[in-house]
Amino acid sequence: MEDHETMSFRYTMIGAAVCIFIFYLGLILSLFYFVGGKGFWEALSHPYTLFSIRLSLTAATIATFFAVLIGLPSAYALSRFKFAGKGILDTFLEIPMILSPIALGAAFLVFFNTPLGELIQTKGIFFVFEVPGIVLAQFATIAGLTTRLMKASLDEISPRYEAVARSLGSSPWQTFYRVTLPLSFRGLIASVILSWAKAFGEFGATVTLAGAMPGKTETMPIAIFTALASANIDKAIVLILILVAFGLIILYGVRLTGKRFRYD
Amino acid sequence: MIRIEDLTILFESFKILNLNIQIEEGGFHFLLGPTGSGKTLILESIMGLRKPRSGRIWIGDQEVQDVPPELRGISYVPQDLALFPHLKVRENIIFGIRARNLDMKTYEEYVRVLVGVMKIDHLLERYPAYLSAGEKKRVALLRALAPKPKLLLLDEPLSGLDPSIKIDIQRLLKDLHSSFHPTTLCVTHDFEEVYFLGDEITIFIDGRVEQVGKRDDVFLKPKSKKVAQFLGAKNLYRAKVLKNEGSSQRLILEVNGLQFSIPRGLYQQEMDVEKEVDLFIRPEEVMILREGKFVKDSLKQNIFEGEILDIAGKERYQTVYFQTTSGKILFEISIPNYAFRNLNLSVGKIVSIALRDESLWVMS
Repeated sequence: MEDHETMSFRYTMIGAAVCIFIFYLGLILSLFYFVGGKGFWEALSHPYTLFSIRLSLTAATIATFFAVLIGLPSAYALSRFKFAGKGILDTFLEIPMILSPIALGAAFLVFFNTPLGELIQTKGIFFVFEVPGIVLAQFATIAGLTTRLMKASLDEISPRYEAVARSLGSSPWQTFYRVTLPLSFRGLIASVILSWAKAFGEFGATVTLAGAMPGKTETMPIAIFTALASANIDKAIVLILILVAFGLIILYGVRLTGKRFRYD
Repeated sequence: MIRIEDLTILFESFKILNLNIQIEEGGFHFLLGPTGSGKTLILESIMGLRKPRSGRIWIGDQEVQDVPPELRGISYVPQDLALFPHLKVRENIIFGIRARNLDMKTYEEYVRVLVGVMKIDHLLERYPAYLSAGEKKRVALLRALAPKPKLLLLDEPLSGLDPSIKIDIQRLLKDLHSSFHPTTLCVTHDFEEVYFLGDEITIFIDGRVEQVGKRDDVFLKPKSKKVAQFLGAKNLYRAKVLKNEGSSQRLILEVNGLQFSIPRGLYQQEMDVEKEVDLFIRPEEVMILREGKFVKDSLKQNIFEGEILDIAGKERYQTVYFQTTSGKILFEISIPNYAFRNLNLSVGKIVSIALRDESLWVMS
């Protein structure tokens, strides 16, 4: 039998958790107040809405791919090796977290007006007010986060496993994909999914660098903003609900991955 | 043969200087040192995971200090075992054979024999998370032995085990070694492990090798007070040389006015009169004399009278704390339980003790 103080402590803590849950649930449920009207179904099947969904999915996937491509080796280096400038490098990963997304987008606009930026745009790929700009903005927002999350997953894996694998005859690369990757897989997948979700919902940097052109650079978050700006509540709600649905599916995916790849 | 020459490792606060170890083919060599003395660092350097400041490592006739770890032919069993949790026991065992691209068919029979010896046939399809501590040790040892390494490195192989399992694994290690003769270097701070398993010992204290030798030589004849203290030696006294009169005479030492007669062969160097030395008297070799019982001539050289101050019982023997009447020197004496019962000892009783020659060792 628990004493009164223990019980009240317990209920205070659980009460706080329930409050958060009710807060978010209430917010989501309030959206359904407008669901079902004629404008709602029209907005759902509108070509621009479908385009926004497709564009958001594609851009977030490409941005996440590049973030993982560079983030995974970087995370490994930060987790396992000592090298000059490691501290500075580690600090720079926080830049997208402390810099407002609009400032990040603005920094890109400034960069593409420098001689190097202009050269990239004229001889390479056009980023400003173009689809690659969306991918670039999303990549810039998530690369640091992806690296940080992956580093945390790799930190959890004892280097002793790698030491044993090396002693048993595995090269560094073989050790990485036979031991390190499978052991940290759960954390890495969760990092990828969360990074993708962050890219999928990115707004500030994207709208600043790529603009908000319907049917061209209008991702879902941007479409929500423009729908609200033009008082198209039905469209805004459709897009918000789709975002919420994707978000919940993703979080569920993270939980499933956690259960599937547990070895302890 | 394994040769480690002048290995120097400087890492954070660790300073390991000029370490030399030589292990005969099929030998079981112990590197014995206090906890936190950098023993694991030494293993990592031998394995190639850490670059030593200087030194040379030979495995057979190949010099390997610049060879990557995967090509050295060394197997390593860390203290935490590091069984790969995502692989079943079977996959863990053959990991080294696969990684080294060895012909599976050639090793199949050998691995089967090892599995039988280790008694883990029924565990092959399990994941490490579902093994007991003893089973994990067996699998880790098997995984290390499966690719027939040129050198097996063991880091505190019996740590963290319940006493009964520890004895099992200790016996298993001994059996494995006598059956398969893997050249083994084992680091530990556990004397019992060393006593049970070791052929040769290197005593390693404060980053330096203090003594190398056969197990019994090191335990019974420590080279210095530092080694004796590390090995938990009781009855260590600072003594002064009183007499040393030629080859036929015994060496006479004095501690607090009490004289000890030491035969030749129990001290290492020339002992000049007045020289200060350390006298070590092994507790298990001290005899408590029974009243009226005949005393052999060989025991008559060192007989002292005194009082029993305390008696502490242990599992297999009793520890008697005895103080000499003259000189007030405190002795710790270990007596097997069966002998203790015949002596009829009690606290406060006045008795005489005799020191066998084998109980004495002088360190300069």
